[in-house]
Amino acid sequence: MPALLDLQRAFAASMLHEEDDAVCGAVVDDGFAAAERLRIYRNTCRSTLIEALRMTYPAVERLVGRDFFDMAASRYAGAHPPQSGYLNEYGGEFPEFLAAFEPASELTYLADVARFEWALGVAANAADAPVLDPLTLAAVDPQDHAALRFEPHPSVSFLSLAYPADQIADAVLAGDEAAIAQVDLSSGPVRLVVHRGPDGIAAERLEPGAYEFVSRLCAGEVLGRLLESAPADAPLLLAAQLRKGRLTACRS
Amino acid sequence: MIPAAAGIGLRFPHHRAVLEERPAVAWLEVHAENYMGGGKPLMVLDAIRRDYPVALHGVGLSLGSADGLNERHLARLRNLAQRVDPGLVSEHLSWSATGGAHFADLLPLPFTEEALSIVCRNVEAAQESLGRRILVENASSYLRYRHSPIPEWEFVAALAERTGCGILCDVNNIFVTACNHGFDPRRYLHALPAERVSEIHLAGHQVRKFEDGRSIRIDDHGSRVSHEVWALYAEALALFGRVPTLIEWDTDVPPLAVLLDEAAQAQCIMSEERTHARPA
Repeated sequence: MPALLDLQRAFAASMLHEEDDAVCGAVVDDGFAAAERLRIYRNTCRSTLIEALRMTYPAVERLVGRDFFDMAASRYAGAHPPQSGYLNEYGGEFPEFLAAFEPASELTYLADVARFEWALGVAANAADAPVLDPLTLAAVDPQDHAALRFEPHPSVSFLSLAYPADQIADAVLAGDEAAIAQVDLSSGPVRLVVHRGPDGIAAERLEPGAYEFVSRLCAGEVLGRLLESAPADAPLLLAAQLRKGRLTACRS
Repeated sequence: MIPAAAGIGLRFPHHRAVLEERPAVAWLEVHAENYMGGGKPLMVLDAIRRDYPVALHGVGLSLGSADGLNERHLARLRNLAQRVDPGLVSEHLSWSATGGAHFADLLPLPFTEEALSIVCRNVEAAQESLGRRILVENASSYLRYRHSPIPEWEFVAALAERTGCGILCDVNNIFVTACNHGFDPRRYLHALPAERVSEIHLAGHQVRKFEDGRSIRIDDHGSRVSHEVWALYAEALALFGRVPTLIEWDTDVPPLAVLLDEAAQAQCIMSEERTHARPA
């Protein structure tokens, strides 16, 4: 008689790797073989995870087609099971998986599109948080400004990508052939900040100087040090972050 | 409080319709895991909660895990329950996680004394953390273990007895499991402690037929409640009294009107049932 822990570990091998031997002996096979019964559960597990990935990575699916996507997602699901029952946070390693996925190696931009879609998903699911009121900042004594540090909204993430993944994702999801034709894969790297503000989820491209300032600002770097190397429009950039709801608090 | 009346499981495709039309349905139940982040889903749930009694139904806590509960997941459920103040909180008699890996399905437990003590421990931990009684739902089953000496209905009754948890009696699941494993579903219903049954679930299932003539029933929540399950539901009401009853639909979700129609049928059967109402 296997203890429950051993039984569940053996069952897991069947769910993840189709290794049924360890659990088959514990299963009644009247009418249906133990392996057939296990397959019902495995198929449900697998298809639920594929659907979860499909929800998060719609542009990736458009780029590779449904059959290829299902194959890649199934392979990923076997190697990277979720760590909890909260499936909205499932699939974070899918971009790196795709980057190393040999059958997709010709689509050099695919992993960047996945990184972009993951950031959108993170922004959609992030916890709610209060937005920093500019009046709070106005109340800080100017001589304390240099010591301020800011906290980003939980939805904020930064992406520095080799390909114009935002443009590719928007074009393929819109099914816009003209926009797809306009994508220039050699247009150089893009730097993006993604977040969920009062008006929804937004991805904004930033110039290199602005990207560095805003990403360091959101990483909590002290304002005084940040301003030593900041672009000339730093005050405007800071004001824009407040207006867009990317900051939740400041402290000195 | 969830009324002893028919409600529906609210899924994303119906968010807008429910917000705009405010259909006349007694209560709504949502999957807790769909609202564990922030943003729009939670805003919708807040708005709906103002006008309807809401129950939280978890699908990812894995009450049957020998490893114990995932504390992070339990904390998320607790935070959500504190925010929503639901009339009922329920989970499943199944397991989904082992060794840090989660399987997105309700996997079957062997019904042994060891499993019973593990599930009891996990249910007690959940009730302690949430600060309230939970309901535990019987799952559909497609396999049995060779060593599973306790009948499922006795296992469920013992779990309720030992932990004080309520029973969410899924009549469709009992029917599916009974057909797949060859027992009389009425035997299951009759064995449950009536005073512990605080909610009933109803849903559709499919009969998957194989070329060699074999068939197995799959609980896919993708169609109307079957005639056999409606009949079994009437028997359940006769045994348990009127309890909150939920229509679930998760695959190929139809227009809201279809769910409301199913709920109306449940309400109709409930009204014919002369026994006392038992709100949860």
